[in-house]
Amino acid sequence: MERGATVFVGTHLSRTFGQVAAVRDVSCRITATDRIAVTGASGSGKSTLLQLIAGIDDPSGGRAAWPALDGHPRRRPGRIGIVFQSPALLPTLDVHENVALSVLLAGQSAGQARRAASEALRLLHLDDLADRLPHELSGGQAQRVAVARAVATNPDLVVADEPTAALDSATAAHLLDVLLSTVDRLGAALVLATHDSTVAGRMDIRWPMADGTIPTAKASS
Amino acid sequence: MMIWLTGLLRRRTGRILGTAAGIAAAVALLATVGSFLSTARASMTARAVAPVQVDWQVHLNAGADPRAVLATTRAEPGVAVALPVGYAKVPALSTQDGTTVSTTGAAVVVGLPPDYRTVFPGQIRDLGGTGNGVLLAQQTAANLRARPGSVVTVTRPGLPAAQVTVDGIVDLPHADTMLALDPAATAPPDNVLLLPATTFTTLFDPLRADRPDLLADQIHVRTDRRLPADPGTAYTVSTGAAHHLDATLAGAGQSTDNLAAALDAARSDAAYATALFLFLASPGAALAGLLTATVVAAAADRRRKEQALLRARGATARQLLSIAAVEATVSGIIGAALGAAAAAALGSLVFGDSGTAAWSAAAAAAGLVIAAGTVLLPAGRSLRTQTVAAGRTGAARPRLPLVLRLGVDGIALVGAFLVLRATTATGYQLVVAPEGAPRIAVDHWAFTGPALLWIGAALLTWRLVEAGLRFGRRPLTTLLRPVAGPLAGTVAATLQRRRRPIATAATLIACAIAFAVSTAAFTATYQQQAEVDARLTNGADVTVTATPGDLTGGLADAIHATPGVRHVETIQHRFAYVGADLQDLYAVRPATITGGAHLADAWFTGGTAETLMHRLEQQPDGILVSAETVTDFQLQPGDQLILRITDPRTGNPTPVTFHFLGVVNEFPTAPTDSFLVANQHYIAGKVGDGPSTHLIDAGGHDPATVAAALRAAIGPGPAITDITASRTVIGSSLTAVDLDGLTRIELGFALLLAVASAGLVLALGLTERRRTFTITTALGARVRHLAGFVAGEALVITVPALVIGAGTGVGLAQVLIVILKGTFDPPPDRMALPWTYLIVLGAAMVAAVAVTVTGVLAQTRKPRLALLRDV
Repeated sequence: MERGATVFVGTHLSRTFGQVAAVRDVSCRITATDRIAVTGASGSGKSTLLQLIAGIDDPSGGRAAWPALDGHPRRRPGRIGIVFQSPALLPTLDVHENVALSVLLAGQSAGQARRAASEALRLLHLDDLADRLPHELSGGQAQRVAVARAVATNPDLVVADEPTAALDSATAAHLLDVLLSTVDRLGAALVLATHDSTVAGRMDIRWPMADGTIPTAKASS
Repeated sequence: MMIWLTGLLRRRTGRILGTAAGIAAAVALLATVGSFLSTARASMTARAVAPVQVDWQVHLNAGADPRAVLATTRAEPGVAVALPVGYAKVPALSTQDGTTVSTTGAAVVVGLPPDYRTVFPGQIRDLGGTGNGVLLAQQTAANLRARPGSVVTVTRPGLPAAQVTVDGIVDLPHADTMLALDPAATAPPDNVLLLPATTFTTLFDPLRADRPDLLADQIHVRTDRRLPADPGTAYTVSTGAAHHLDATLAGAGQSTDNLAAALDAARSDAAYATALFLFLASPGAALAGLLTATVVAAAADRRRKEQALLRARGATARQLLSIAAVEATVSGIIGAALGAAAAAALGSLVFGDSGTAAWSAAAAAAGLVIAAGTVLLPAGRSLRTQTVAAGRTGAARPRLPLVLRLGVDGIALVGAFLVLRATTATGYQLVVAPEGAPRIAVDHWAFTGPALLWIGAALLTWRLVEAGLRFGRRPLTTLLRPVAGPLAGTVAATLQRRRRPIATAATLIACAIAFAVSTAAFTATYQQQAEVDARLTNGADVTVTATPGDLTGGLADAIHATPGVRHVETIQHRFAYVGADLQDLYAVRPATITGGAHLADAWFTGGTAETLMHRLEQQPDGILVSAETVTDFQLQPGDQLILRITDPRTGNPTPVTFHFLGVVNEFPTAPTDSFLVANQHYIAGKVGDGPSTHLIDAGGHDPATVAAALRAAIGPGPAITDITASRTVIGSSLTAVDLDGLTRIELGFALLLAVASAGLVLALGLTERRRTFTITTALGARVRHLAGFVAGEALVITVPALVIGAGTGVGLAQVLIVILKGTFDPPPDRMALPWTYLIVLGAAMVAAVAVTVTGVLAQTRKPRLALLRDV
């Protein structure tokens, strides 16, 4: 992807659940190599905004577009890597299979998926854990596997929803190092939700959210 | 506790209702079949006693005072009516028609009080003339060529012969009991004359002083019939009451208990009904319990995590068990109430009886036990064996269950084989009811065989599916490629690691299919044999048995002319001596016999029905004999066999030479033991014609209607029976008891359990993995990808379950047929498979799986993103 290319554009985005407005009138733009921290208190709408950006949820109002992806992420699986708050690994697949699954879902062959998964695990120094099942991993290991899964498809954008929330500070710092170095290597953009100021401090851009909106300014890179 | 209960009812309604539904199925099945059992037993008792006219016959001993015995009998508790009946044995009866005198052999003259026919209306059936006065039994009338108005001369030893004028010709349907002159009598007399009591007294009182040995007195008793519903208990009560009368009479008389004799046969049928209940209903109830356990187990992960959270927050084991107990109680009560209500509704619908409170209560109690066993026990086990951390993380790598590691499946199957072999050895009978013995014996060992077979087959299914998934990942990947595409390997890996719940689900579905198939095959075979039995008993759609005197062809012409008659086949029934052994001889027309009567190949040995009839046609002096006769007389094919057959023209036994042609085991209207089948034309040429039985093919018309038309056309003389009536007249046996109702309920439940297990178990398993599907969707999976997971799991569960379940079902049905052979007469030569039901079962299961898969896929189309935050 070209440096400076627009990965995502949100225009007056809103998302409501019944009477509750989780995201209200948010306009934002993400370009390649952006490092964005979405900050805010619990319930401020960070996760919902990230789901809209990742394309796994649809806005109730406004418009979401992914110019660099040539279409909606649901039609271009693998172009956006997602790291959830919990590792969200499939319990019945081992580490290697979990990582390979995202590559398979991106439309690659079984052989390509195997190779990509092995490469991603090697990058994150997880080769030794390849045969383990999720319940045999520590919290930090599982979250690193989740990162490996997110980057195994060489995405243009990585969306991470509080990936360090459940980790101790040392493990969280290590995971963040891994995540940043990986997206740097891929040349991908990174949008990360956090309420940890230390984590946010390592990002280039901050989008502070409150009551479902970004009050300071229209978010933009 | 209340907070938890409220939360459970509001947020986990599906879990509670799912558990309750499984319990309701078990309760409904047990209560319905139990109620059927009660109804069936009562029906057996009612059917058994209904044809009995004279409940007790009190035989007066020599020297007893008839008036005193009558008074004592009438005063006995439970006696409704008691009437005196006199008997006289005379050397002969005769008539004179012009110069022709017809004389019988020894005869019995019976003196009946005026109200006898009112009290015992079924004892005497009018065939001609008036129903009062001097009545002559049908066969005696034929022997004497007598009709109403004829004068019969009664020979009286030591006195001049007396003459009476015949007022009517009658049939005596219960001659065996009515004419038994002493309790040990085995056969009724051939010649019978019935007189009003006053005439009898006039004729035979003069004999009392000189020849008391020729006279007998009886008291015929009608009881109030306040009998318990169960035939066994009713038998005991009736026997006890009769014994009480004997004791009260203190030697003046001895009773024959006809009521108990009728109940004697019914009580073994009742024992078979109980056995049927145990064999057919208990696996269904166990299956419903297993289904409930599976429903509960489907939520085990979530339950374990809830429990772990509560433990982490300080809940004690006692509190956690209390919570589980509350859930079990709520589920159990809801399930028991639903099940009891369903059973009452079904009972009313099918049996016209909403069932007994006792059975409903027992079934409800069983439902509560199932609830405790499926909810409370796993919770307790989990508390004992799991740590909080393990509870929060989820399932470990699946291990082979202990029962399989110990090889219980193999042990159970070998045990089943040995028990079946031992219990089905020569002469084996599940129910032994010695005639007259107060108690019947049921061989409970026989239940061990099917029980072990069920256990062994279920565990073997588990082992096979488990092993297939554990070791067959590569072939499984190949097999799944058509449905899962490039994800086939991933789906196979998922299935391999989920092999324990998958094997459990497949086992449950296989058991449900086995239950449905075995029940269907058994009941179909049962009905097939009941039909064969009715056909064997009646011989054809409609059977007309001519009076002994009717040797003309006029009757056959009249039958032919009756509407609804397509074909008439005449066979003649004779008696013949084989050595000193008197056997029934059926004289047939081999070329046309199959036009009126159905002959099954299984009834013959050494050839099909067609080939043996063809051989008989080709060889006029050929004869088919029973296997017993072949053994007894060491016969070889082609051996000469000389029979002595009575010639009706001379009354003398005439030797007739035959040649042994083949073996016949069953034949229409023939008895079950020894009999013979030969050419009608050949026999008629040697000893003349015999009494005819006309076997009528109704050509698809209702046999009962054709029988009614025949009665109208040919009058009351010949006996006319139709197969519809035969089906219900096969005694008080199980076929006569509305087994159709049980069959419908059993098959309905079997279908319901099979469909529920396929749909519910699959749906629950997949629903519990909503988070997995949500994650997969969030990672980019499309419907076709998820379809690979869902359909792959559905196929891996249902295909082996269908194959193994169907095989096991057929095997179990075969075992049931062997064990319950006492309910079959004749034994089946092969199992009947009700293909319509089996096709419906298969289609319903496929539909249930398709609906489940579609439903689960529809759910995943809209992923619940909140699930992504679950730990």
